[in-house]
Amino acid sequence: MREYRFERPGTVTEAVRRSGSDTAYLAGGTTLVDLMKLEVMTPGRVLDINRLPLRGLDATGGGLRIGALERMTDVAADPRVRLGYPMLSQALELSASGQLRNMASIGGNLLQRTRCGYFRDVSMPCNKRQPGSGCPAIRGENRMHAVLGTSDSCVATHPSDLAVALAALDARVQLQGRDGVRTVNLCDFYLLPADTPHLEHDLRPGELVTGVIVPRLDWAQRSIYLKIRDRQSYEFALSSAAVAIRREGDTIVEARVAVGGMGTRPWRLPAVERALAGRPATSNTYAAAATATVDGTRPLRHNAFKPELMQRTLIRALLELEQTR
Amino acid sequence: MTKPAEVTRSTTGGIGESPLRPDGALKVRGEFAYSSDLWHEDMVWGVTLRSPHPHARIRSVDLTEALRVPGVHAVLTHQDVPGTNRYGLEHADQPVLAVDLVRYHGEPVALVAADHPETARRAMKRIKVDYEVLTPVSDAEHAVHGDGPRLHRDGNVVRHVPIRRGDQNATAPVVVHGVYEVGMQDQAFLGPESGLAVPAEDGGVDLFVATQWLHVDQRQICYALGLPADKVRLTLAGVGGAFGGREDLSIQVHACLLARHTGKPVKMVYNREESFYGHVHRHPAKLYYEHGATEDGRLVYVRSRIYLDGGAYASSTPAVVANAATLGFGPYNVDNVTMDCWGVYTNNPPCGAMRGFGAVQAGFAYESQMDKLAAALGMDPVEVRVRNAMSEGSTMPTGQVLDSAAPVAELLRLVRDRPMPAERGELDLRAMPGGVSNTTHGEGVVRGVGYAVGVKNICFSEGFDDYSTARLRLEVLGGEPAATIHTAAAEVGQGLVTIEQQIVRTELGIQQVTVHPADTTVGNGGSTSASRQTYVTGGAVKAACEAVREKLLKLAVTRFGEPRANLTPAEIVSVLGTEVIEETVEWRHRPTTALDPETGQGFAHVQYGFAAHRAVVDVDVELGLVKVVELACAQDVGKALNPQAVVGQIHGGSVQGLGLAVMEEIQVTEGKVRNPSFTDYLIPTILDTPPMPVDVLELADPHAPYGLRGVGEPPTISSTPAVVAAIRAATGLALTRVPVRPEHLTLEEPR
Amino acid sequence: MRLNVTVNGEPRQAEDVWPGESLLYVLRERLGLPGSKNACEQGECGSCTVYLDGTPVCACLVAAGQAEGREVRTVEGLAEGEALDRVQQSFVDAGAVQCGFCTPGLVVAAHDLLARVPEPTDPEIREALAGNLCRCTGYEKILDAVRLAARR
Repeated sequence: MREYRFERPGTVTEAVRRSGSDTAYLAGGTTLVDLMKLEVMTPGRVLDINRLPLRGLDATGGGLRIGALERMTDVAADPRVRLGYPMLSQALELSASGQLRNMASIGGNLLQRTRCGYFRDVSMPCNKRQPGSGCPAIRGENRMHAVLGTSDSCVATHPSDLAVALAALDARVQLQGRDGVRTVNLCDFYLLPADTPHLEHDLRPGELVTGVIVPRLDWAQRSIYLKIRDRQSYEFALSSAAVAIRREGDTIVEARVAVGGMGTRPWRLPAVERALAGRPATSNTYAAAATATVDGTRPLRHNAFKPELMQRTLIRALLELEQTR
Repeated sequence: MTKPAEVTRSTTGGIGESPLRPDGALKVRGEFAYSSDLWHEDMVWGVTLRSPHPHARIRSVDLTEALRVPGVHAVLTHQDVPGTNRYGLEHADQPVLAVDLVRYHGEPVALVAADHPETARRAMKRIKVDYEVLTPVSDAEHAVHGDGPRLHRDGNVVRHVPIRRGDQNATAPVVVHGVYEVGMQDQAFLGPESGLAVPAEDGGVDLFVATQWLHVDQRQICYALGLPADKVRLTLAGVGGAFGGREDLSIQVHACLLARHTGKPVKMVYNREESFYGHVHRHPAKLYYEHGATEDGRLVYVRSRIYLDGGAYASSTPAVVANAATLGFGPYNVDNVTMDCWGVYTNNPPCGAMRGFGAVQAGFAYESQMDKLAAALGMDPVEVRVRNAMSEGSTMPTGQVLDSAAPVAELLRLVRDRPMPAERGELDLRAMPGGVSNTTHGEGVVRGVGYAVGVKNICFSEGFDDYSTARLRLEVLGGEPAATIHTAAAEVGQGLVTIEQQIVRTELGIQQVTVHPADTTVGNGGSTSASRQTYVTGGAVKAACEAVREKLLKLAVTRFGEPRANLTPAEIVSVLGTEVIEETVEWRHRPTTALDPETGQGFAHVQYGFAAHRAVVDVDVELGLVKVVELACAQDVGKALNPQAVVGQIHGGSVQGLGLAVMEEIQVTEGKVRNPSFTDYLIPTILDTPPMPVDVLELADPHAPYGLRGVGEPPTISSTPAVVAAIRAATGLALTRVPVRPEHLTLEEPR
Repeated sequence: MRLNVTVNGEPRQAEDVWPGESLLYVLRERLGLPGSKNACEQGECGSCTVYLDGTPVCACLVAAGQAEGREVRTVEGLAEGEALDRVQQSFVDAGAVQCGFCTPGLVVAAHDLLARVPEPTDPEIREALAGNLCRCTGYEKILDAVRLAARR
């Protein structure tokens, strides 16, 4: 770990003012401390924001407004989330061990970095860490890597489960920076790698994530987050799906669908949503709609199973959703 | 049958009971001193610079920048090795620090000592090594038969063990072939490699280290430092698991080098990533098998070729090869066998001892073959095994006759006849494949059941002088007889320290027994491996008790004026008074012999352990998820000296086998380890493990102390193939490689 | 920097703490409390589980500065003098301790579980302990230990 200075700004304004190209914000620490030990991230100054007033979970109006420093455990357990937006609770609980969920913040979870083994190994070239140095994953070990949103520069999967569920819910990210506050759609907040994989978020210099807004969606009560991984727990997704369905009788009126483990960012699937809308809620519908996921997938040598797995994951999420409540 | 001498004493906490382990309270308090917990005033921290390349020539090493870092006390290379710059368990073929060639990803090149571990790491990064990168040799089979580069002076084959018994041209009406692969498993012990080396005023060094074999470490350190044994004193520090991964050196010579160079105590602790580079792994294997049988399922012949990838250095490859070969046909009677097993050098990570030691790889292959044979014959898989099962009096492929119980059929029947676990029904969803992940309510889930039985040798083999030493001291303390038992045998978690206490209690009829820390001030205890410690060190402890008792009874004659057969504790106090009896005994099991180099025949193994498993799995065939619902085991342990510990060992070995079946693999690409972390090298969590009912048989081995059989390894042999067999039963897929992954179960069309 | 933190009920100070040190490092190397373990130091094994302000966390990923002014409770703070906590005693009694390296983290995690859920079902026990790796026991006797502790 490189030497750094530890600072504790007293207000959000001060934090933003103090931040620069050589700083990093510290919340739960589960990403930053980990990556600093690996020297993947090497800020000269670490700004501890844990005492800033960025907490709170507000459900007035039916949607949710979640402070960026809310811990994953607390948000997952909050009855307004559990009952109103079960895919969010499930995504949070399936993310990581209890200990990590107790430490990690919502904001930090959204900003976590990829688990790509080459990114995490500073002895390897990586366009995300060092623009222009190359991407060894494309022709190397890429079983866990992405099949959607990839480019010739980067194929790294986005690891957050929460972000997938939030993407399905049209969530928005609240930011505060030097120019004031703004709000960005989560789906636009995450950038595709294209040929600038080092740019992952629509974040201006110094901007701090202050909260997440989940627009009101009454039928999100009927939602699920499903995760496929190499062991029963405590592991990143091979494949995951966040699904919410609005039904009238046996017909699907509307759907929200997003997948994880597949994309370089959380992947919303409007084509699948359109294929479900107005259809009978049957396994035939699900199977047909799921085929729309394969469009645009670019499998690599070791993850050619992913597009098929993505379809099956989606079908299963839809079937499971039928069975809950 | 060896029994404890008949006594009328009322001993509690003796053999056959399950007294609490003496270090248990300290461990649950967090006060047990593991090797990474050690602390010494004035100590500095050592770190190791390792090669990033699997195969490279070292053109130059520049230490200047590193030496300039404030707080650095030493930066060392091979030039600073005062003795011989080589070590190794069977062949001293590995440099302490690389000279002009590195042969594996992670090979040590230089050492740094500094005030703070961070300083040491930063200085380490400033060492400039100029490498000329070479192409790594990665394919074991090719390394044997191809004409690639020679990685060591004598070529790429570390050892070849042939077995030729019976008719080499036998034919049979039913023949099944198979090619199997076993991936590289890691011991993944939780306690990192670590220790503390303290330089001594006599020019020697005192080393506190977590290891499996103090004396073999001492021998290698002496060789590298050019010091006599009395100047290199080792004490066992608390060990956080081993499973074979601590049999080779890690920090031992390095820490001693730094300590003697700096004149300060040096602590070294690997982090998890370094640990994955810093110890040997299980040999990945490619296994070719052909089984020939009669129409009614009797084996006529088995032919096999096994390639074990030993990686860059020999470690214990020669013994692993012999094990895989001699145990390579399984516990089955077959008259005609042909085996060729090779262990080879490549530039892959070095492989050596891991619990099961060659028999695991062979077990996966031969048990898969037995299921294939059963299918070809239309026979029940347990039935075909029972039909060919060895028993006492059977002849091993090496010509050795089994001269004690070998309840292969009985073990299979025990697991087969155990009632099946409940069917899926209104169960907790968490019991489904995918578990908590919401993956299923039961649709797409198919249950499968699989069986396997395996055999493992116990103790060291092929004529190795396998012994242990025990020093027992008996005196009166606080008005009670008190014994201190001292061995150099390493407690690594298996419960040897408890066993030592139990044996002394039983043999002497006393309660108060203290286990002295293991160190090199007493004779060699042998390796904590090959499931041998209860047998050999237990045997030494027992023999020391006998020697002490003999002296005690002689004193009793003087005291009582007549011979006594045994003494109560009060009588012992009265006989001993202020005297102390101390006896040191070296104890050996009966000798084994070498294998004939052409035929592989010989009395190679002193004992065999047998275990069988039944695995019940639920497979979500749509998503490829496996839930092991139950993993039942039946094992013959001869005599359960500590029943609770025996079952604990069987559970642990079974789960390591489960891990190999469905999730554990070190991924190596062109010689580089790609997953050196617990996120990417997966070991089972508590959500992955099933209930594991255990049947323990106690069929005494008349040649062993108390009739016991080694326990630790047999459960690793049959667990993996039983789980895979169950997955095959659920999916109809061939599954010839472990670990099995979800995509192996979904890509192909399910039955 | 100087670090002020309450550990096991006592106010403690560590001098000259590098910002890059984790709470785990501070506990083990500066405060003489090596009970919490360093099996991975990457938040992937749970062996460093401690209570931070009453919540179990992985101390290896807590930057030292984040612990300033807070309350930490480690495995060394569970026993009442000579008497082991019921979770600790149960681990010993049930044979759940082999090498014991995972034990401190598991004891804290189990302690926390039983404080929140006095009579957990097996699935609840498994879920709660899923963040703690053990390599020796296969977890069976750990489950026995937690069930035993719940009854005491």
